[in-house]
Amino acid sequence: MPFVEDPAHLSIARLKSDLLAHNVALPPAASKKEVYVELHLKNIDQKNAAEFSSDDEEETREAARESSGFEHSRDKDPEVTQMPDPSDLTDEYLREALLKHGVKAGPIVASTRTLYENKLRKLLLHSNGDDELYSDSEEEQEKRDDIESVLEEQKPEEAKKIKGENDKTFSITQMVQEMESRGSLSDCTVKELNSSRVGEHCSRSYRFAMNDLDKSRSTDQSLYHTPKDVHPPRGMKLPQESGKPILKDLFPDTKPTTTGIYVTPRRPIKGAAQRPVQYSYSYPDTLVSPVTLERREVERRLVSIHIQILFFFFVACILFYIYVNVQDSTVLALLDSFSHCFDKEGWAFLQPGTEGTQAVCKQD
Amino acid sequence: MSSTSQKHKDFVAEPMGEKPVMALAGIGEVLGKRLEEKGFDKAYVVLGQFLVLKKDEELFRDWLKDTCGANAKQQGDCYGCLKEWCDAFL
Repeated sequence: MPFVEDPAHLSIARLKSDLLAHNVALPPAASKKEVYVELHLKNIDQKNAAEFSSDDEEETREAARESSGFEHSRDKDPEVTQMPDPSDLTDEYLREALLKHGVKAGPIVASTRTLYENKLRKLLLHSNGDDELYSDSEEEQEKRDDIESVLEEQKPEEAKKIKGENDKTFSITQMVQEMESRGSLSDCTVKELNSSRVGEHCSRSYRFAMNDLDKSRSTDQSLYHTPKDVHPPRGMKLPQESGKPILKDLFPDTKPTTTGIYVTPRRPIKGAAQRPVQYSYSYPDTLVSPVTLERREVERRLVSIHIQILFFFFVACILFYIYVNVQDSTVLALLDSFSHCFDKEGWAFLQPGTEGTQAVCKQD
Repeated sequence: MSSTSQKHKDFVAEPMGEKPVMALAGIGEVLGKRLEEKGFDKAYVVLGQFLVLKKDEELFRDWLKDTCGANAKQQGDCYGCLKEWCDAFL
């Protein structure tokens, strides 16, 4: 810290810390720099009286100029690092700085100013810290996100681009496997139109490929995940190069060649393909998606709905027929007799041997 | 979904009018007093601050914490209350 320096050239944070060091009460948070400068001058001026007394007016003028823009202070003050202190910024500069970090700020008024300053500080800290330590993982995350967006949008072009980027960091076997999954993805784009299930499988396989790639990157193991039935011949070669112990279990009969590559006739190895994968996702036995389950339920209901509709029309016809014939008095008498009969039968059903009720009905 | 308190339901049920700041969910006597001291004596003034912050949750929570020292739950209750009121009446 320089021994003698104009307080107008210091940032507000520096002024604050200096005032605190000299046990001076700080002004309210929303005060402008001039207030800090004055306090600084008043209190620390006592110790350096001779040097500052003549420069007071100039300094206040400079402070007024500097409070309106941050570039001035940045040039003069060697202590300020690349990031200007948010407290020094004007409302406009503050808003621009927030916009650079992707934050669309609302009105910056007295009550909101400190909040936005704090937000900018947090963003500056995060951006600095992340750049140094976490750049690799961020790139990875971006790539993962890119790939997943590819899955949703089904654009193989992006996958190619990502694959090109990944070449630098991944080993050759992993590269080829990526090509596999990318190839399977392009097939999936066609097959997805036919059946949603295949698309789901493809997307899952692709995602698992990426997860496995990440793991292998850390553990330096190569993958034995094969894309599903989509590319039968290609899928076998790569896993066999690396996943020998596992393939020995699967194919005990095959003889190892001199190069150590197992070549067998392809049959769908759902067990092997899914085995490394099952820890993260378990398929139900029937492999039925919820959509098909719903459709089955609806179909069940549909069948009965048809029957219900027919029955409804049948009853409606009967009623219509009755309504048409109701003018006829004979039919009315018929109806009455029918109703009596029903009553009689009801009683007879409930209490067998009730002749008294029958007599009652006949009387009516 | 967490259930809302009776205070929340009462506030969101009708336009706030001249309701005091203590009618807000999450703002009790102590916090209400602190807000009134700062000049936020009516619920609509806090609403004004909420709107000036563009209904941003993080900023509003920070503001509430700085202004009256509300804890996380109180911040959340107040934010939810105002947000729902705005959705209904604004």
